[in-house]
Amino acid sequence: MTLATQTGKLPVERRGVFSKKLSGILEPYLYVSPALVLIIAVMLMPLILGLSYAFRDIRILNPFSGGFVGMAHFQTLMSDQAFLGALANTAWWTFGSLVFQFGLGLILALLLNRAFLGRGLIQALVFLPWAVPTFLSGLNWAWMFNPVVGPLPHWMTSLGLMAEPYNILSDPDLAMWGPIIANIWFGIPFFAITMLAALQSIPKELYEAASIDGATTRQQFISITLPFLAPTIAITLMLRTIWIANFADLIVVMTKGGPADSTQIVASYIFTQAFRRLDFGYASAIAAVLLVLLLAYALSVIALRRAMTHSDN
Amino acid sequence: MASIEIANARKSYGAVDVLHGIDLDISDGEFIVLVGPSGCGKSTLLRMIAGLEDITSGDISIAGNVVNDLQPKDRDIAMVFQSYALYPHMSVAENMSYALTLRKTAKEKIADAITNVADILGLSALLERRPKALSGGQRQRVAMGRAIVRKPQAFLFDEPLSNLDARLREQMRTEIRKLHRRLGATSVYVTHDQIEAMTMADRIVAMHDGIIQQVGSPVEIYDHPANIFVASFIGSPAMNFLEGTYETKDDNGADGAGIRLSDGSLVAVLPARGATNNQAVTLGARPEHITIAPDANSGLAARIDLIEPMGLSTLVHATLAGKPIKIFTMDRPDYAVDSTIHVSFDMEKVHVFDTKSELRLPPVIEPHPGHRD
Repeated sequence: MTLATQTGKLPVERRGVFSKKLSGILEPYLYVSPALVLIIAVMLMPLILGLSYAFRDIRILNPFSGGFVGMAHFQTLMSDQAFLGALANTAWWTFGSLVFQFGLGLILALLLNRAFLGRGLIQALVFLPWAVPTFLSGLNWAWMFNPVVGPLPHWMTSLGLMAEPYNILSDPDLAMWGPIIANIWFGIPFFAITMLAALQSIPKELYEAASIDGATTRQQFISITLPFLAPTIAITLMLRTIWIANFADLIVVMTKGGPADSTQIVASYIFTQAFRRLDFGYASAIAAVLLVLLLAYALSVIALRRAMTHSDN
Repeated sequence: MASIEIANARKSYGAVDVLHGIDLDISDGEFIVLVGPSGCGKSTLLRMIAGLEDITSGDISIAGNVVNDLQPKDRDIAMVFQSYALYPHMSVAENMSYALTLRKTAKEKIADAITNVADILGLSALLERRPKALSGGQRQRVAMGRAIVRKPQAFLFDEPLSNLDARLREQMRTEIRKLHRRLGATSVYVTHDQIEAMTMADRIVAMHDGIIQQVGSPVEIYDHPANIFVASFIGSPAMNFLEGTYETKDDNGADGAGIRLSDGSLVAVLPARGATNNQAVTLGARPEHITIAPDANSGLAARIDLIEPMGLSTLVHATLAGKPIKIFTMDRPDYAVDSTIHVSFDMEKVHVFDTKSELRLPPVIEPHPGHRD
C-alpha cells in the first residue's frame, strides 16, 4: 500500500485485491442481514417509536395534541409526588416479593430434590400457580382478602392477628401486602423449578465424597450446593427483579393502585396514566424512566457477575 | 491401617437381591481387587464398606469393629471415585485439605500434610489451580491426594482409572501400586478390567451375579480358575472353550483321558477328578497353550480365519470343530486365510470343566507345580 499512497492511484492488480478485501468484509453482514432486518423491525422500531412519544404531547381525548414538547414531561415527572411515591412502592413491591419468592422457592426445591412417594405428581402440582392466568389469580386473591366472601380475614382474626375481620386491601398501610402475597404465591414455582433443575445437575458423588470427608448436611450445603447454585441464583434473581418491577397485573386487578396510591408502582402508574387518564405522552415518559432504571440495574448486575467470575478464575 | 471382615453381607433393593451373602476377610495392608462384569455387585459391595449403601443383612467390620450403622465419616476410610468427585469450586490444595479442615486440624499441620502429599504425587506446582484447569491424570492424582492426606484406615477405589486413556491408565496403575507399597494401607479396588486386577492385586476377588466366584492370587486365579466364568473373564486374549464328552479310553482302547469334540476328534487331557465316561464336559485352553504343528502328521485340523500381528506376538484366529479358537504364538506365521493348519493342545495345561455345573474338574494328580507358568 506504500506504493499506492505514493502514486495516489492504485495499481490494477492492487485494486483487485482491495475489492476482494472489501467483499470479504461485507460478506458476513450480507448473511446476517435477514436477522438484522427482523430484529430492527420487531424490536428496535417499537422501542424507538415508544421513546419518541415521551417527547410528544399525545392525549387521546385531545384531537389537537401530538406536538413535540421536548423535556416537558420529564420536568413534570421530577415534581410529580405520585410518581416519586410509585418509585418507592416499586422498590418495596419488587424486593418484598423477590425475597420470599426466592427463599420459599429454594426451600421447596430442596424438599422436592429428595426422593419420596408421589414426587412426580407434587413436582407437577407445584407448577400450577404459574399456569393460572395472572388476571384470574389476582381476582381470586382479592376475593380471599375480602371478609364478605373470603376466609383469610376470618382466619387472621381467629389467630389473633386482627382485631376484627376487615379487608387489608382497603388499609393504606397494609394494602401492598395483598398483591405481594399473591405475587409470592405466583412466583414460587419459577424459583422452585429453576433451582430444582440446578440441584439435579449436581453430581451425587460430590455429596458422597463430602460425607466420607466428614461434612455434615449443613457443611455440604455451604461447600457444594450453594457454589453450584450461585450462577443460577444470580441470573434468576436478576431476571425476576426486572420482571416483578414491570409486573403490574396483580396490582391493577387487586387494588388499581389504591387506596390513595398506596399500592401504586411505576408500572401500574404507567397503566393508570395511559388507559385511565389517556395521556400516552406522559405514560411514555414514565416508561422511559423505568427503562433507564432497569437498564442501569441490569448493567450493574452483569458487571458484578463478571467481576465475580473473573475473581473465580 | 486395619483389616476388613465381611461376614454374610447381603444387599437387596426391594425384591431384587444384588449381593447374596458375601464372606471376605481382607488382611491389614493387603491390596484386594474386586473384579467382575458390570452389574456383578462389586461397586455395591465397595459402597457398603464405605457406608454409602445400607447393609441389608450381615456384618462389615473395620479393624475389628462392626461398622454397619456408622456414618461414612465415622468409618475412617477414604474413597477415590471414578468421576474423581473433586469439589469444582475449590483449589487443589483446598480439595485435599477439606477433610482436615472439617476436623479442625491445626493450620500448620494441614499445610505440612498438603506439602508432603503434593510432593509424593507431583502436584506441588498445581496446588492453587481449580480442578477444571487440570488434565484427567492430574485430577486422578488430586483425588488420590485427597484420600492420602487423611491417613485413613483403608482406601477404597471405585474404578478410578476408567476415565483415563490407555497409556495413562498403565502409568497410573504402576503409580498406585508403588504408592501402596510405600504407604502399606489396606486397599479395596474395584475394576471391570481384568488386566488391572492381574497387575495390581495381592488377591483378586472375582465376582459374578452378586456371588464371589473365586478368591486368590492373580497367578492362582489365572492358572486354576474355579469355573468357566472365572476362566473366561480373566486373561486376554480370552480362554478358548470347546464342548465335548469325557472319555476314559483313547482311540486305541488304552486307558487314559480325553475329550471327544463335536467333529469326532479326541483331545488328550490329564484324568480329571470326578469325571465319568461320556460326561458332558468343556475343554478350556488358553491361546498360549495351543501350538501349531509344523506338519500335517500330528494334531487336529483347523482352518485359518484371521491373522492378528501384535508386534511382540501373533494371534491366530481359526475354526476347530466348528468353533472359533484363538492361538497365541511368538512366531511370525504367514498362513493364508482359509488354509488348513494342525494344532495340538498342551495336555498338562488345558482345563476340564463340567458343562452342566460349569465347575472346573481338577486333574487327579496335579502336574509338577514348577511346570506351570
